[in-house]
Amino acid sequence: MEDAFDEVFPLNFGSYEDALTLIGEKSTRIVAEFTVNWEMIKVYCSMLEDGNESHWDEEYAKKQWGGIIAPPGMLLTWPMPMQWHPTKEQIHYFIATTIPLPGSTLINVSTDSEFYKHLYLGDRVSVEDTLLAISEKKTTRLGTGHFLTTRAEFFNQKDELVAVLNNNLFRYDTLEANS
Amino acid sequence: MRSDISLKYWNEIKEGDAVTPVVLPVPYERVILDAAATQDYFPGHHNPAYARHQGQKEIYLNSMAIEGFINRVATDWAGPHTFIRRRKMQMRSSVYAGDTLHTEGVVEKCYQEDDRYLVDISISVMVKNDVCIPASLTLEIPYSK
Repeated sequence: MEDAFDEVFPLNFGSYEDALTLIGEKSTRIVAEFTVNWEMIKVYCSMLEDGNESHWDEEYAKKQWGGIIAPPGMLLTWPMPMQWHPTKEQIHYFIATTIPLPGSTLINVSTDSEFYKHLYLGDRVSVEDTLLAISEKKTTRLGTGHFLTTRAEFFNQKDELVAVLNNNLFRYDTLEANS
Repeated sequence: MRSDISLKYWNEIKEGDAVTPVVLPVPYERVILDAAATQDYFPGHHNPAYARHQGQKEIYLNSMAIEGFINRVATDWAGPHTFIRRRKMQMRSSVYAGDTLHTEGVVEKCYQEDDRYLVDISISVMVKNDVCIPASLTLEIPYSK
């Protein structure tokens, strides 16, 4: 018997054929609520026990990079929506989570990231995500569904391209739910 | 500034060199810290019942934790003067609360492109004997003059 859970990740539902018409669709440009800040960098590095001086040691970072830099693994963290905001709707930059398709859940499968510039304290990230492809129905060990390929471009406040992320996500129903 | 920072230079690295292994236990605490640190409240990362609904056995680390861990393996080995230029990874299976991560890595290629000194490495992130996440990175590492 499945455990009860009282939170559902909001998904849009629709047919594969309809979803195909959305290929090439771009998300609205999301501007991060938070600027790149040392406090969040420290929490992230602490989570990974990452002692890289570029993120912790002001003197070293200044000499090597011109200042403390954000870990590249935090790229997606900066434009994450807040769980609640008094005036803004919660909008996720990640277009793959908004595409109407069958499948009650999703999981990320692979990432390919290229980095052009570092992010420094005080920088504000913005991002635009594009839907590139949707696979035909496929079955994996988790279930049956579709793979969505997206490409997100991340910019700093000077509109300089900081990084590009090509992502694959699986939108699916478990084998149990399919039976 | 610490005086004992360990740095590898491009001209000291050769193909076939091992990338120093890293071990990281992943108790529940780290999975929850991951959700908070990355602002990622997708329920599979903090709600065990939702994770099981997904066909997962437990709550699991998100992509940003795995990416950061792979980066850490690279920069622990090559030093903080490393610029990660590219990282590719495939999450073949999830990393669950209760797992312990360990890595194997090797230098695949050393080369120059324009004025950059580059090193390609591959890293396998493993739980027990299974490779959960194969990854490959291109690192820009200074030349020691």
